Amino acid sequence: MSAPLMSRQEKTVTGFWPWFLQRVSGFLLIFLVGVHIWMTHFSGLGDVVRGHQEELVLFEIVKQRLAQGLFIFIDFSLLALVLYHGLNGMRNILLEWGPAARHAAGMTTGLWLLGVGTFIYGAWALLAFIL
Amino acid sequence: MAFSLRALSLHAGNFQDRYSGTRSGWWAWFLQRLTGVALVGYLFLHIAVISTARAGADTFDTVLIILQKPFFVVLDLFLIAAVLYHALNGVRVLLFDAGIAIRQQALLFWICMLLTVVITGVAGYFSLPLIFRG
Repeated sequence: MSAPLMSRQEKTVTGFWPWFLQRVSGFLLIFLVGVHIWMTHFSGLGDVVRGHQEELVLFEIVKQRLAQGLFIFIDFSLLALVLYHGLNGMRNILLEWGPAARHAAGMTTGLWLLGVGTFIYGAWALLAFIL
Repeated sequence: MAFSLRALSLHAGNFQDRYSGTRSGWWAWFLQRLTGVALVGYLFLHIAVISTARAGADTFDTVLIILQKPFFVVLDLFLIAAVLYHALNGVRVLLFDAGIAIRQQALLFWICMLLTVVITGVAGYFSLPLIFRG
């Protein structure tokens, strides 16, 4: 990473680590979201079109997929990374708004609570297919 | 809404000065935010829908059968377009962060737009049987 880049980011209100992790999570999400959309909406398309399967997504189909460790790993990683990336993106936008920027620490705490709470809720939902 | 309009105008000037003098820098930035906010909204709806699994397999299937009707398949194509643009433009931004192709930013924006349209078109073509099934 070049020195001018570092100094440019240090001047912003978002901070270096949120900026850096936004890029890392974004890069990883390209693959995770790609696999997720492919598996849920396209891999079973032939079976639905030929009438071998009623719908692309049904409880049993998701349950069978989540019986594999790889997909448990993918879905939980996806949930955590997409929440971080999405809420950090919202933080970047909100920091340009005066009232939010003046209470940046409180807003960041609020977004973390929302993110962690939503992760727990989402994980609880996913466990319905696994346990 | 006032805050976002102010932010928009700030960035419009910023991007025109910093990059090639074309307006695609502003549009790329604006569309990244628009799709980003839309995808966050969708994310919470998506988690809410999946959580119906907690009410049992039958409830989940009832909800999911409705959400796979043609109307929602068409909406899914808009979702795919938003995801594609956001991901492709994200790669474009990563390249600029690495100091690559900044002078070609306008060309890269149009490549992002083209790939978004083409891949969404392919996804739409393969989804036609779901949109027109009886």
